[in-house]
Amino acid sequence: MEVIMEQMPIVIRSLNIGFLQTLKLFFVTLAGALPLGLVIAFGSMSRFRPVSWLTRIVVWIVRGTPLMIQLLIIYYFPGLVLGNPIWGSGESGRFVAASVAFVFNYACYFSEIYRGGIQSVPVGQEEAGLVLGMTRSQIFFKVTLLQMIKRIVPPMSNEIITLVKDTSLARIIALQEIIWAGQAFLKGSQGISGEIWPLFFTALYYLVFSGVLTVLLGKLEQKLNYFR
Amino acid sequence: MPILEVEHLCKTFERTEVLKDISFSLEQGQVVSIIGSSGSGKTTLLRCLNFLERPDSGVIRVNGEVLLDAGNPSPEQEAQIRRKRLHFGLVFQSFNLFPQYTALENVMLAKELLAKEQPDYKARKNEIHEEIRVLAEELLRQMGLENRMGNYPHQLSGGQCQRVAIARALALKPDILCFDEPTSALDPELTGEVLRVIKELADQQTTMIIVTHEMAFARDVAHHVIFMDDGYILEQGTPEQVFGNTKEERTRQFLSRFNQGQ
Amino acid sequence: MKKWIAVMLAGMMTVGALTGCGSSQTVVTENPAETEEEAGTDEEAQAEDAAAVEEVAAEESDMAYVQGKGTLVVGITDFAPMDYKDENGEWIGFDADMAKAFAESLGVEAEFVEINWDNKVLELDGKTIDCVWNGMTLTEEVLSAMECSSAYCNNAQVVIVPADVADQYQDTDSLSDLTFAVEAGSAGEEQVAALGLNYTPVTAQSDALMEVAAGTSDAAVIDSLMAAAMVGEGTGYEDLTYTIGLNSEEYGVGFRKGSDLAAALNEFFAASYADGSMQTVAETYSVQAALIEQ
Repeated sequence: MEVIMEQMPIVIRSLNIGFLQTLKLFFVTLAGALPLGLVIAFGSMSRFRPVSWLTRIVVWIVRGTPLMIQLLIIYYFPGLVLGNPIWGSGESGRFVAASVAFVFNYACYFSEIYRGGIQSVPVGQEEAGLVLGMTRSQIFFKVTLLQMIKRIVPPMSNEIITLVKDTSLARIIALQEIIWAGQAFLKGSQGISGEIWPLFFTALYYLVFSGVLTVLLGKLEQKLNYFR
Repeated sequence: MPILEVEHLCKTFERTEVLKDISFSLEQGQVVSIIGSSGSGKTTLLRCLNFLERPDSGVIRVNGEVLLDAGNPSPEQEAQIRRKRLHFGLVFQSFNLFPQYTALENVMLAKELLAKEQPDYKARKNEIHEEIRVLAEELLRQMGLENRMGNYPHQLSGGQCQRVAIARALALKPDILCFDEPTSALDPELTGEVLRVIKELADQQTTMIIVTHEMAFARDVAHHVIFMDDGYILEQGTPEQVFGNTKEERTRQFLSRFNQGQ
Repeated sequence: MKKWIAVMLAGMMTVGALTGCGSSQTVVTENPAETEEEAGTDEEAQAEDAAAVEEVAAEESDMAYVQGKGTLVVGITDFAPMDYKDENGEWIGFDADMAKAFAESLGVEAEFVEINWDNKVLELDGKTIDCVWNGMTLTEEVLSAMECSSAYCNNAQVVIVPADVADQYQDTDSLSDLTFAVEAGSAGEEQVAALGLNYTPVTAQSDALMEVAAGTSDAAVIDSLMAAAMVGEGTGYEDLTYTIGLNSEEYGVGFRKGSDLAAALNEFFAASYADGSMQTVAETYSVQAALIEQ
């Protein structure tokens, strides 16, 4: 116990740095995938067949292959096959590559949730808007969007909580997120070696963060309860 | 000159002919009731007038202006169709109120969005907003909903919802207001309040097309009655002619079924 | 191994391109080649033929490439006493110090990048690092996938067991009843497989230790240098100890296949050993006993 108390400050500092990376990846992914998912959703609902067809194939490929493989391909492919390692070797390049993979992967998942949400809004809502002389974009932003959001908050909450934990996959391309930071003390780092507890301790970070998210998303759900 | 002229309107879904050579006209300030059994094409006719469906052939004129000549293949811009729609208002069977807005907001929304297209919108923003609010409140008061303006649709009864929907359609001051079975989704005890409101509008010389199954109401409120059967207009004329002096056997059968029911 | 991975990746990308896989396409096209040296090879590389790419890489001198960009990117893991961080966050260790000296001799700067050990060949071939210099055992696989320097350090694979049962496992025959945990693809795995022992591959040597500590495996096989640092009195695994060595093996530095840097490093090692500077660095990190004459 005493040993752990001694190691605690070093470990916590390391885990905090790792968790910052985890948080960064989480928020960048959300910021990119939320809007991109909507674009993909419209693509897959396009009345122009080739577009909807192509979008659905892309979504199928991205959802049908492991995120881990996508990370490997996106990070190593440019250097390996094109001979030009565009991302660079440093931590920032790895972060950008990981962000690209995560944004794209999650956008595809989000797009299917969006599509379900949009299609579950009764067609009468759009017709009412049309008859009232509204444009299609006015109908989407003023009428459909909020009703869609209300419907997709529960499934989106699920995906967002999953995303928190999925960020740990990025360590496959050596992004030093919190699990990486925790594992470092197993092998030995900063004079601490063979310690398993820092790895287990990372679970606490995830737990607290997903707890905060659950509360916030619950609040959002409640906030949208003012209409049915 | 009639405010509305419909000539030789035809519409086919897949292989089913839903509208067959529909022609009729309507004078300013008059009310036409369209009756007929379900599936006879009444709703499709209203949807064609409101540009929710595109007829395969036929002409629609409002105030002499050709709004639609289905035979003319030139593709129409979304924006043009939007302008043309504004000649008509439509009240749906299932209300289709926007659930996230209050009764007042439902009535104001479309008008406010349209106002943004006015050239002087930026300069007179607050003034315009105020005008629209006053108009919307006036309409809701007229519908007997002065105490319900801040309520959301799920807090209102079906009859109240439908009256909000009527106010919403009226806010855009359409030339012709269409009703698609406005009381069919209501409990019987709530139909009265909606029919009363429509009757008041008729008394104020509002030009209206009403698709309804309320025969007594159709007879009472309309200047002109159209009986549709299997996509055709089988019989039309004054309420006295259609109800009192029925010519066609099909119409007589249809009306007698209703009389028995009542 | 290297070729196999490249072919597989190329194949996947082709499938992606044919079916309009947006992710990879966007990545490739939206980031035009910026490095001057690479511009000439772009067209050929577009052929997406793994073999062709290897030839292209070999044609160009790797040393010229590294000197052109001014940095030698060294792929490492946090591994005392070879590569680890001092209090200031600076990478030190026997390997780290030698790498800095070698980079200096090339007139470039050494940049240390932590990698995922499983992907070391991918990192090399993808040019995200220029060498693997991290107490890497020269196994058959490593030798075939990388251009390796000559060996510079001795090592052994040792058996780790709980200290209280250590007396029972002092020879190879006694090991047959045990279940082992070994790092996948490590020299340790080669050894237990050769002896026909019952084992589970795990992702890291440290995980193998954890298995023994947790009792999910009876024993593990890891590097002796690592074992010295991680088990026994005063470490995180006080209840574990190491018994017999299964083999002796050697550490080397890995470069891209066909790289001329391996030969350059051999010359540098020879010179440093001759003037005694390599021994001095080894003494700093207490690995002088394991040092191999150059």
